[in-house]
Amino acid sequence: MSQDARVETFVTAFEALRAEVEKVIVGHREIITHVLTSMFAGGHVLLEGVPGLGKTLLIKTLAEGLELSFSRVQFTPDLMPADIIGTNIIVEDGDGRKHFQFQQGPIFAHILLSDEINRATPKTQSALLEGMQEGAVTVGGVSRPLPAPFFVLATQNPIEMEGTYPLPEAQLDRFLFKLRVRYPAIDELNAIIDRTTRSQQVTVSRVMSGPTVLSFRELIREVPIASHVRDFASTIVMATHPSWASSPEVTRRFVRYGASPRGAQALVLGGKVRALAEGRYNVSVEDIKALATPALRHRVILNFEGEAEGVDADTLVGQVVEAAEAITASGKEVFLR
Amino acid sequence: MAHPQAIEVLVRRVARQVGVRRAEHWGLRGAFWGALLAAAVLAFKAVLGLAALVLAPALVLLGALAGAAYGLASRVAPRDAARLADRAFGLADRVATALEWADHPDRTPLVDALVADTVARVLALEPRQIVRRVIPLEGRWLPAPLLAGLVLALAPAIHLPTGTILDFTPSAEQEQHEDRASTEMTAERSRPLPRDPLKRPSFEERDFAQRTGTGSGSTAGDLSAIFKDTALSNQRPDFNSFLKKGDERLRLLEQVDRLPDLQSDFTTTQYKMVFRKSKSLMSGLSPDISPQKLRELLDEMERLGRKGGNWSSDASEGMDALEGGQTDRALEAMQRALDKMRAMEEAGRSGKSLRGGRENERGARGRERARGGEGVGPEDQDFGEGEGLLPGKGRSTMPKGDPTARVRGNPYDVGVEGESRRGRKDGYDTNLTGRAGSMPSRLMYLGVVGQYRKMMEDAITREQVPRDYHDQIRNYFQALDER
Repeated sequence: MSQDARVETFVTAFEALRAEVEKVIVGHREIITHVLTSMFAGGHVLLEGVPGLGKTLLIKTLAEGLELSFSRVQFTPDLMPADIIGTNIIVEDGDGRKHFQFQQGPIFAHILLSDEINRATPKTQSALLEGMQEGAVTVGGVSRPLPAPFFVLATQNPIEMEGTYPLPEAQLDRFLFKLRVRYPAIDELNAIIDRTTRSQQVTVSRVMSGPTVLSFRELIREVPIASHVRDFASTIVMATHPSWASSPEVTRRFVRYGASPRGAQALVLGGKVRALAEGRYNVSVEDIKALATPALRHRVILNFEGEAEGVDADTLVGQVVEAAEAITASGKEVFLR
Repeated sequence: MAHPQAIEVLVRRVARQVGVRRAEHWGLRGAFWGALLAAAVLAFKAVLGLAALVLAPALVLLGALAGAAYGLASRVAPRDAARLADRAFGLADRVATALEWADHPDRTPLVDALVADTVARVLALEPRQIVRRVIPLEGRWLPAPLLAGLVLALAPAIHLPTGTILDFTPSAEQEQHEDRASTEMTAERSRPLPRDPLKRPSFEERDFAQRTGTGSGSTAGDLSAIFKDTALSNQRPDFNSFLKKGDERLRLLEQVDRLPDLQSDFTTTQYKMVFRKSKSLMSGLSPDISPQKLRELLDEMERLGRKGGNWSSDASEGMDALEGGQTDRALEAMQRALDKMRAMEEAGRSGKSLRGGRENERGARGRERARGGEGVGPEDQDFGEGEGLLPGKGRSTMPKGDPTARVRGNPYDVGVEGESRRGRKDGYDTNLTGRAGSMPSRLMYLGVVGQYRKMMEDAITREQVPRDYHDQIRNYFQALDER
C-alpha cells in the first residue's frame, strides 16, 4: 500500500469513528477529536466536567465504535487496588488440589473507563500508574501485560470536591490530554432532548479494530516534524517553567512547577495525529498551538499567588504560547534578522 | 521520490526577494546618512567651493549604494526562506519540513509522500512577491536632509567667522592701570597693622572708597556703600581688599590651636570603636573565634592604651595568652581591658558635662585622680567580673560566682515584699528580699552577658532546650548585642 493510501485510510477511519460517536454525542466536536487524537497517539485522557454533560456516554460510545474490550470502574472511596488490577485467589481443581490463580481485574481491557477517578483514595488511583505508563501491571511479583491497545479514559467532577482526592501530579502527568467538557449551547441542548427522548435508539457501528488502531499508531510516528516546529514545542514547555531564563512574566508570577518532558511529547505526538487527520504529512506550528491547552493545562502547577488570584490554567497556557512564539521569533520579518 | 528541485527553486526565489528587500532597506538607510553628510559638506560650500556641489550628490549615492550592497551581501538562510514561503503561501510548514527531511538520514516512507505533496503544491503556486517592503525610520526622514542639501546648494555660501587669536600683550593703558594698582598695593602694605591681629575691623574702619570703580560718592560709615560694594558692574578687581581680608585669614590660620579639629569624629570614641569590633568578633555565638581577628583587636587596644590608658597591660597579657594558645584567657584579658576603657570613657564623658550632678562630681574627682591627687572613691572604680558594691559598705569582697549556678542552687534566694500604697492611685512599694537584696545591684553588663551567652550555647548544645525555642533564644541574645 502506498503512503498516500495509508494516510487516506487513516483519514477515512478517523472521520468514520468521529461520525459514529457524533451519532450519540451532540456537539463537543473538539472534545471528540481530542479523544480520538489521544487514542491514536497512544495516550490517555482525563475528562473533567460537571455531571450530566455526557462524559461517560462519550467514552461508552467510543468503545462501541471500536472492536475492543471495554470495562468500567466506578471509583469510590472504599475501592482497593486489587479491585482494579486483580488478585490471586485459591482455586480447587478436579483432583481436589488447591492452588493460587490470578483473577484479572477490570484493568485488563482495551478501553478502561475510570469514572469519577478522584473519588478513590490515592492508593487506588496509583494502581493505574504502572498500567498507564508501562502497559503492564505487577501482581504478586509477576508482571502481566495489558492488552494492546490500552486506553484509559478517566472522568472527574470539578465540583462537589468534599470527600474527593485530587489526583497527584505524577498521576496527572500520565494523561496525554485533560479535556474540559463544557455546557452545550441551546441548539445542542435541543438536539440532545430530541435524540434522548424519542423511541428509536441510535446504534453505533464498529468501524475499527484493535490491530488497525495499532497500525495507525505506527503510521503516526512516521510523520516528520521540522526542527523549528519541534523547537517551538520545546520552547512552549520550557516557558512554563518559572526558573527558565526566558520564561514570560506570567509564568514567573503564577507558576510553581512547569510541564514535564511528557508535555512536549504530548504536543508533538498530538500534532502528528492532528496533521495526519487533516491529510497532511508533516506537523505544523498551528498543530502545536492547537494542542497546547489540552496537553499542558494539567501539567502547569500554580503557586499560591496563582491560586489566590484565580488564574485560569487555559489562559495562562495561551499566554505562554504567545510568549513562546515571540521567543522563537517566528513572527519576525526574516530579512531583519 | 519526487525531485525536490521545485522546492529549491521556490526557496531561491524567496531568498532573492528577501535580498532585494534588504537592499532597499539598507539602501534607504545608507542614503539618509549620505544625505546628512552631503548637507554638512554643502554647509562648507564657501570653503570647499565647487567641489562641494560635486561631493554632496556623490555622498548620497555612495551611501545608498553601500547600504544596498550590504543588504544584498547578507546571506538568507534557506530554512528562513522556506518558512517565509510557508507562511506566505499557507503551506503549513510543508516546504520547511520537506527541505529539512528530503536528505535526512532518518527519513521515513512518509517523507517521500510529503516531498511529493509539497512539490505538487509548489508547482501549482503563482509566482508573486511575498516579502513586503519595510521602510526604515531613516527612509521616512530621508527627504529632510535631501531638502536641506538642496537649499544649501542653491543658497549663497555661508561665510564662516574667521577667528583670530586675541592679543594678550599689555597695552599702554593696561600698563598704566597696573602701575597704579601696584602703587596702591604698596601703599596698603605700608600701612601699620592693627594691634590685635584677630580683631576684625569695624565697618567704620573699612575704607570702601579705596575700591576703584565703586560709588565714588560714598563716604566712610555709609551703609549704602555696602550694597554698592556688591555691584559688579563697571568694576575692576580690587586686589587690595582681597589682600586685606586675606591677611586676616592667613593670620588666623597660623593659630592652629584655635582652629576646630575637623579630622576628629566626636561621635565615635575609641571605646565605642573597639567595643564594636569586639562585639562583631564575638557575635554569631560561634565558639570558633578567629585568633587572627582577636590578635588584631588586642593589638589595637594595646596601641590605644599606650596613648593614654591603663589597659595596655591587660591587652599585652591577652596577646601573650593568645600566643600560648589560651583563647579563653585572651578573651578574659580583653574583657578587662574593655572594662577599663569603658570606665575611662565614662569619666571623660562626665568631664564634658554630658551628665549632671553626681556624675560631674565623679568626673571632677576623676580628673583630680588623673592629676595624681586623692579623692578616689569606691564609685570611681570600675568593677571587674564578679565584683560590685555593697550598698553603703563599699566594694564587695565576695565574688558573685557563676550567676546561673547561684539561681539554680537556691531558687528562693530572691524574693519580693511589698505593701499597698494608698493615694491618688493605688500601687505597691516593693523591695527585694533575701540574698539578692543584699547583693550588689550593679553588674557589669559586658561581664555577665558573655557568661550567659556561653551557658545558653552549652544548654542548646546539650539539648536541654526544646528545638523550637533555639531560634527564639538566639534572637534574644542577638537583640542584647544590638542594644
